Amino acid sequence: MSTYMTIRRAWDKVFTILSGGSVVILGILLVIVLVPMLGKGCSAVFFRETIEFRKMEFAELGRGDEQKLKEEVAQVTEARKPIYDLINNFSEGIDTERQRNRAREMYRLYGEQLRLKNTPSEQYSEYRGRAKDLRNLLQDAYEAIDAETAKSFLQKVLEKRNDPIFQDTAISEYFHMAERYMRTVETIDLSKRDQYAIALNEVQEALKKLLGPRPSEDLPPLAENRYGATRWDLMQRDLDHLMYATVWVEEEPGQPLVKKKIPRTDPSQFGGTELKPLFGTVKNNLDAIFRPQRRFYWQYFIDGSTPGHFFGGVGPEVLGTLLLSICAMLFAVPLGIISAAYLVECGGNNFVMKVIRTCINTLAGVPSIVFGLFGLAFFVLVVFGKPCILAASLTLGLLVLPVVIRASEEAIRAVPRTYKEASLALGAGRFRTFVMVILPAAMPGILTGIILSVSRAAGETAPILFTGAVFFGNVPKSLMGQTPALSYGIHGIATGDRVGMQMPHQQFGMVMTLVLLVLCLNMAAIILRARISKKLRGY
Amino acid sequence: MEVSEPMPQTPEKKPDLKPAEPIGSQPSSIRITAGAGRQDRPSTASGVSCESSSIIRSKNFSLYYGQKAGVKDITMDIESRMVTAIIGPSGCGKSTFLRSINRMNDLIPHTRAEGVLAVNGVNVYDKRINLVHLRQQVGMVFQKPNPFAKSIYDNITYGPKLQGIRRKALLDEITEKCLRDAALWEEVKDDLSKSALALSGGQQQRLCIARTLATKPKVVLMDEPCSALDPLATAKIEDLIGQLKNEYTIVIVTHNMQQAARISEKTAFFCLGELVEYGDTGQLFTNPEKKETEDYITGRFG
Repeated sequence: MSTYMTIRRAWDKVFTILSGGSVVILGILLVIVLVPMLGKGCSAVFFRETIEFRKMEFAELGRGDEQKLKEEVAQVTEARKPIYDLINNFSEGIDTERQRNRAREMYRLYGEQLRLKNTPSEQYSEYRGRAKDLRNLLQDAYEAIDAETAKSFLQKVLEKRNDPIFQDTAISEYFHMAERYMRTVETIDLSKRDQYAIALNEVQEALKKLLGPRPSEDLPPLAENRYGATRWDLMQRDLDHLMYATVWVEEEPGQPLVKKKIPRTDPSQFGGTELKPLFGTVKNNLDAIFRPQRRFYWQYFIDGSTPGHFFGGVGPEVLGTLLLSICAMLFAVPLGIISAAYLVECGGNNFVMKVIRTCINTLAGVPSIVFGLFGLAFFVLVVFGKPCILAASLTLGLLVLPVVIRASEEAIRAVPRTYKEASLALGAGRFRTFVMVILPAAMPGILTGIILSVSRAAGETAPILFTGAVFFGNVPKSLMGQTPALSYGIHGIATGDRVGMQMPHQQFGMVMTLVLLVLCLNMAAIILRARISKKLRGY
Repeated sequence: MEVSEPMPQTPEKKPDLKPAEPIGSQPSSIRITAGAGRQDRPSTASGVSCESSSIIRSKNFSLYYGQKAGVKDITMDIESRMVTAIIGPSGCGKSTFLRSINRMNDLIPHTRAEGVLAVNGVNVYDKRINLVHLRQQVGMVFQKPNPFAKSIYDNITYGPKLQGIRRKALLDEITEKCLRDAALWEEVKDDLSKSALALSGGQQQRLCIARTLATKPKVVLMDEPCSALDPLATAKIEDLIGQLKNEYTIVIVTHNMQQAARISEKTAFFCLGELVEYGDTGQLFTNPEKKETEDYITGRFG
């Protein structure tokens, strides 16, 4: 007897531990899933913005203090000037094609200057001839592939520095160029000029990512190229590209190549050249170059974004998601409740009803992509002729309809029979009894079904994939247009080629927004349900 | 007050809901089939006067659930402005009979009625009868208090609104009168907008009675109205029934024989779907005619 009791107690304990443990595991899972999602998503809203962000916000979204921004931009431009100067200087020594063109250009200019001064013709041809000699010497120097030859050419050019006929003319530029090239020749190995050109190109690209286009350049047509690093975290990543070169090296013969990060200041890169100070300058002046500030970008939830979601927020996505869900529920809820009412009140329990119930249950389990394809085949191609909000929300409505019907049916069934009897005994008809007595009493249960359905409708991607969602755009004025939606936006960024890599915070931000949106919808419905229940209970 | 159909066996008579008139034209036939109590009937002087005031008449009435009979061959008259109690063991068909009077059994699928059950001379199982009118004539109070999940005021006015009464003043008047009639007015008059479900069980049941009275019925059917209540609330409801019988005909089903003895003038004893004995309460409890009745009321079975 006592062993039996012991076993029973042990079983009770095991049961308690198991059920308690499962709740704990569920809680942990929830935390594991939600915390990173919300944490990373927060980076879309809380971050350190740079001057580039303020520039973007002012130009693309029309927000910010123009006067203050101008002052800041002027200061930043000043701080960035040494960087551009270093690049310019260095590139002159590398990009000989440009220098040769420049020499040719100066030569032509010199001719014009002579003509302008009405130089006599024999003097003119003599001067031109001497200038031409200089030009050829300079060009030879640029073309030389070893330092000594180049130097000797340059020496010859510089000898003519004090020639009075070149004073204050275009040709005097030749001497600057020669001097500068002389310095370059001393610091770099001319035979590796091509490698330098490639590496310099990389540096310039990285710099463009970091700082945006130079102030002198035209504004690029794509918004994503118009600004540098708008956020401190993205800046760190882009800075890495500037500071380090990625090279593939063969560590052991016969083995696959290994990727290696080498600092740009390494002798194999720009070590010992005129460009070397650039990296230190950038690294040490980040604050002056970017002027970072802490930012709570709450407008993320209402702002539109530039094409491809590079900058800006998810306002249109939020609106579109709400619009799609609401339209879907407007379709599914009345139809669902009426169907449930029929099933319970009029349908009886015969064979046809059983078949219908089975069909509804089966529909509830059909994968959403099937609904999406049905929406494409029926609503898009047959009914509306094009993808639109209406087609998408009707597809979503169909998707959630079985859930609504099932929940409503259960809720209506759960209303005590005595309510119905009381109403009928007072002389009410079936319709009136249903509307006035049964429906209000079943409302909390029906609302539970609606809550689940709204969340599902807001989060589904597949049904709207072909029927009315676009990756980028604004919410249209009519229901016959296409709309962006959060779920589809997440899908688009995740499967897109670049945005997910370049703007990870956009993806996390969208996920967080969707989770928050569903959470808010649920909260609202729960509060509503609690209020109705309270009213029904009466205390 | 118009009721759609005349009783089949009295086609020459106009249907009228005044209790005194119609079916009294065939008193003899009724008297013969007036169940177990027929021997003592003619001898009592009141018997004749009661005959003429019968409001509910049942003649060979049977109700079947599918193939199974709920009640079989019931023949009894229920007097106007009196309390008639129906007692009997569980499953004897007393609730079935009561619910047949306003056709609440329709909610159960596959029910079938035979014979005649007439209220005010109109067969309630006639196919052409207007159920809404019938149920307004014959109100019902259920075993468990079942107020709607609405305010007290809305509960009372639910019936009158169904009858098309929209005027606020009139509805207020009806509410007050019915709540006074149901002895609930003093307890709830300050808070008519409170949810009915916030009331106690006894109050809820009185509210249900008030709600039934609001449709101005002739007959109030009560299906074990006190079985879910404590003795104090039961006493209140019983007092209430005593007052209501001046205006309404009350038919009450009860398990509690003391209650039947306390409040009713007439008592019917049902057993196994049949009417065993029907007569004056005092007579039935002190000097029953049938052996089953005696066994039941003395507690030998049931």
